Amino acid sequence: MRAAGLLTDPEGTARADHVCWVYEDDEEFLDVARRYLEEGLARGERLLYVGESGPADLATEAGPLADVDGLMARGALQVLDLRAGYQGSGAFTPAEQLAFYEAATAEARAAGHSGLCVVAEISGLAADPGRRPDLVRWEHLADEFMGSGSGMRALCAYRGDLGREALTDVASVHPLVHDRAGGPPFRSWFEGEAIALAGALDSFGADRLEQVLTGTHIDRPTVTLDLSQVEFVGVGGCRAIARWARLLQDRGSRLELTGTSRVFGTMWRILDFDACGEVSFREPPS
Amino acid sequence: MTVAVSGFQHDALFYRDEAEFVTRVGGFVRAGLAGDETVSVALPRPRLDLLRDALEGEAAAVTWLDMAEIGANPARIIAVWTATLRASLAAGRHLRGVGEPAYVGRRPAELVECALHERLLDRAFGDGPAWRLVCPYDEEHLPPEVCAGARRTHAGQGTDDEHRGAFAAPLPPPSGAVLRGDFRAGDVPAVRRTVRHWAASLGLVPDRVESLELAAAELATNSVVHGGGAGSVAMWTDDDAAVLEFTDSGTVDEPLAGRLLPAPEDDGGRGLYLVNALCDLVQLRSSPAGTTVRVLTWL
Repeated sequence: MRAAGLLTDPEGTARADHVCWVYEDDEEFLDVARRYLEEGLARGERLLYVGESGPADLATEAGPLADVDGLMARGALQVLDLRAGYQGSGAFTPAEQLAFYEAATAEARAAGHSGLCVVAEISGLAADPGRRPDLVRWEHLADEFMGSGSGMRALCAYRGDLGREALTDVASVHPLVHDRAGGPPFRSWFEGEAIALAGALDSFGADRLEQVLTGTHIDRPTVTLDLSQVEFVGVGGCRAIARWARLLQDRGSRLELTGTSRVFGTMWRILDFDACGEVSFREPPS
Repeated sequence: MTVAVSGFQHDALFYRDEAEFVTRVGGFVRAGLAGDETVSVALPRPRLDLLRDALEGEAAAVTWLDMAEIGANPARIIAVWTATLRASLAAGRHLRGVGEPAYVGRRPAELVECALHERLLDRAFGDGPAWRLVCPYDEEHLPPEVCAGARRTHAGQGTDDEHRGAFAAPLPPPSGAVLRGDFRAGDVPAVRRTVRHWAASLGLVPDRVESLELAAAELATNSVVHGGGAGSVAMWTDDDAAVLEFTDSGTVDEPLAGRLLPAPEDDGGRGLYLVNALCDLVQLRSSPAGTTVRVLTWL
């Protein structure tokens, strides 16, 4: 099981493999970013900083991050300038991102590092409504990559003043979330070969849930959705799942649901969602 | 009495004892079988068994439904007849049904909903394909006002105003202490959690608690989305029920709302249908003055 939940304390962040941290000011961001990177150094991971500002602010007076220039010189810390990398060219596609990080992780390992530790301050991408859907799809795709034991892990930092819509969009595709405002109504992440959901799947979040699910690129005969950590599923959430089941069916895959309650099974039957998309229940509703 | 209503013939059959019940209802069923009609019978036990035994070998050709199951909440019955009619038409046969929603032993609130159901049957089927439905009433043991009401609801299809009038009839006020709260869009999760804690505090089993939480979420969402963006929730218990009530300023335009499953491509309408299917008794009333949905869970 991967670490998943709502975080209140940066202590829990350092060892996480994919966390969304919504911060209020630079001081808070730097504190949590340094903790994450220091843990990465302790693990022998190569560090990769992605952001609009340079990494100089990350330097500390003492400790592993005291010599940022030295870390960069010997390849232990790399920097990807967000402005140069994405915003200048306008290029940002989930597939290109995955290819980049797969290569970066492989290169880190080939260079003798145990993996790749990423701190990404990508509020600028989230603030752009035109690019946000691709960012959300990339975050979801990245979560699968990180959850697969690839050796990559990431702290994704977003400014708290981005607005609820943007923050909810991006936070919804992380297993671990810190947000003083309470976090998104639901979260989605990869757990082994399954997609896990937690939180509340209600009518108000149904469109977002459907976007997350239908944006998932899984090419397997059976796709498993784990609802064991969900607090509540309403008609809207159930329908979003049913519509995804139909999409999967059209692609030649079958949706398998696990961790459902008996009432969920009753709701599915009463509302005849099998007519929308065929699913199987791994454990019959008990 | 027999009144033909544009294809759908909906009659009440008043009986005074079992012998009369078996003779008259049995005759209606046999006539349908003789005419190669689909015959579906929805009765409470033990009268279902009584009629089945009386029909002997002919009983096998009849579809038997326990009214106490399919119609525990009378708002579910129209969906059952709709599915039965659809299947019968698909098989190329006429449908003949027997349905006794208002049977002896029903609670007063259930009988009120049975009367509304009877009135809305004509709205649901009056303009559709021809079929016949007979509704037996135990004139000897049911309250006289129930039988008097049945005479009215079986005296013709009724006008749109009559349907809406029945749909707008006020519900009796709560008895005893009532927990109340107002909510808006962002409060829906808090509303359902409050209902969940309240239901659990009454000792309801987990599935019923979960069902009530689900009902609360759907009804509160309806108030927010269709009822003016806000609503009120009230919770109380009376002698034999936990009662959950939602009110808002919106109007449900169609009295059949929640009684028929929306088509797959339809965006809305599933929440109320689900609440009707999950909960023991649901009383929906609406008029231009507002909407009330009262959900009763038998204790």
